[in-house]
Amino acid sequence: MNEQQHAPISVEEMAHAFEEEVGPVDLSPYAVEDWVNLAIFWAMAICVFLQFFTRYALNNSLAWTEEIAANCLVVVVFLGSVMCVRMMRHIQVDFIYQFLSPKLRRALELVVDFIVIGFFAYTTWLMWRYIAIVGNERMVTVNLPRGYVFYTVFAAFALMLARSVQNFVKDMINEKTVREEASESGAQGI
Amino acid sequence: MLLLIGSFLVLMIVGVPVAVSLGVASLAYLVIYGVAPDIIAAQRMIAGVESFPLIAVPFFIFAGNLMNIAGVTGRIYQFALSLVGWMKGGLAQVNIVGSVVFSGMSGTALADAAGIGTIEIKAMKDHGYPVEAAVGVTAASATLGPIFPPSLPFVIYGMMANVSIGALFMAGVVPGVVMTTLMMVTVFIFAHRKGWGSDTPFELRRLASASLEILIVLCFPAAVYLLVLAGLSINVAVLIGLVALVALDWYFDFSAVMALMTPVLLIGGMTMGWFTPTEAAVAAVIWSLFLGLVRYRTMTLRTLAKASFDTIETTASVLFIVTTATIFAWLLTVSQAAQMFSNFMFSLTDNWWTFLIIVNIVLLIVGAFLDTIAAISILVPILMPIAARYGIDPVHMGLILTLNLMIGLLTPPVGVVLFVLSRISKLSIERTALAILPWMVPLFVALLLITFIPQITLWLPTQFGLIK
Repeated sequence: MNEQQHAPISVEEMAHAFEEEVGPVDLSPYAVEDWVNLAIFWAMAICVFLQFFTRYALNNSLAWTEEIAANCLVVVVFLGSVMCVRMMRHIQVDFIYQFLSPKLRRALELVVDFIVIGFFAYTTWLMWRYIAIVGNERMVTVNLPRGYVFYTVFAAFALMLARSVQNFVKDMINEKTVREEASESGAQGI
Repeated sequence: MLLLIGSFLVLMIVGVPVAVSLGVASLAYLVIYGVAPDIIAAQRMIAGVESFPLIAVPFFIFAGNLMNIAGVTGRIYQFALSLVGWMKGGLAQVNIVGSVVFSGMSGTALADAAGIGTIEIKAMKDHGYPVEAAVGVTAASATLGPIFPPSLPFVIYGMMANVSIGALFMAGVVPGVVMTTLMMVTVFIFAHRKGWGSDTPFELRRLASASLEILIVLCFPAAVYLLVLAGLSINVAVLIGLVALVALDWYFDFSAVMALMTPVLLIGGMTMGWFTPTEAAVAAVIWSLFLGLVRYRTMTLRTLAKASFDTIETTASVLFIVTTATIFAWLLTVSQAAQMFSNFMFSLTDNWWTFLIIVNIVLLIVGAFLDTIAAISILVPILMPIAARYGIDPVHMGLILTLNLMIGLLTPPVGVVLFVLSRISKLSIERTALAILPWMVPLFVALLLITFIPQITLWLPTQFGLIK
């Protein structure tokens, strides 16, 4: 019944098996909007740190950090979502695709693409109308227009629409679909 | 209501991204039934993520990603090997202990499975363990990630259910220990039945040094407490403690003390009211930056940028679901679904444990099909009011919900961890699912214990005065 039989080896030697080899980092797949988003992400980190720091070191917490950080999060989520659309990294369920013939699978993917494009078109329009109502609001703790956030979210939805159309066109032209490329780079979720 | 839930399920199964499925279903319901102007959807989406507590999500993800490139992986396994490598089925035990340490730094099951799972499975395979066993242990131990603090599902649950996130984190500690023990017992039984030997020689010196490291970490809060008793202010005491610890680590070059400190700092900081969960997450980021840039010097600007991009990607894909799930959850409330479900439950039973059995069964089914975040955002508004009427503590409910959904990550048809492990191990989905099956036993035992003995969950946070 012995499935595994070998002499014990030393901890040092064994620990080598757990060392990860790190390959060179490839930053080329990231687009302009992603780098903008990176800056906002770090700005959010600095805001939260500032809040903590001013409270303990200066005994006088800056009120605006919380609101700015929360607004940064809104931007990070929607702009980051553009990246997920482009790379097909949004969380989705594709288990029924295993049971379909390639032709049927392709047809279903087209249907999904249409639904996604339609959704982003509708939400872009929705955001546009929303801005018309609340675009002039100002933030509570600092005298800044909230329009910055709303227009960025609107831009993010417009970009999601553009990127999903772009992927659709790519799929029409290229041999390998964006989905197939995405499926090679691992799963998403928590 | 049928339209709302039905169209969401159909869209999701067809392969529309979960967030878009929720959005399309909600918008369709809004437009067709005209409950409210559709522009409210835009407002809800933005409001859904415009929250300070939610900022903890990206930073806990970031801290986990940074830890992966901070050069602590090898050290943690050296620690785990010294501690349990000599046992029968050593590498399987090491796998579990390694996951426990990692779950103290990251808050997700997937990061555990995909990040360290790759090396764990490879190491076990290389040393003669059957792939199935390697996959099973890795899958089971990955569920610890969101149970031991920090935990992303807890952050999102806490926000949705309006429960203290600090209390939830604290509540996860004892259940985490229970789960770890059960899994280690399972490995012990497996090792005896299948004749697994030990993988490293037994050395008292190594075991002692690994135990000493745990002791040092546990001494940190005690030392801080003593310093405070000696009349120092708490800030100064913590600062002195940290400086002393870093100096000791520099001198003796411990393997895992710094990594083990992460959860101690987070929990300690939050229970003492030092920082909010969001600030704790940033503190974890700073801690891992300190380890990677100053202590072990393994990070570069490029790896840092890559880790940030990975974080943004995960954050966006998770929180984009929250944006549309907010509309969906609101419509569920408006359409009286929660009320109907509540009345239905009370017509069935009026004692809490029957209710919990039903909830567990429902959650296991839901968890097998639905993404974790979508499930939490949809179920919380339905379950919370009922749980309150049965007198179940919301913290207890959070633990039950999360553990069920984590088990759901391991089960077909939709199980992210299952898919990731099948890709890593190059086994088919079916064989991976079969390999995980025996390892479900400790998880289900843990689920039963946690469900029916509320004290496991509630004892620690009550001791610290986090819940009344």
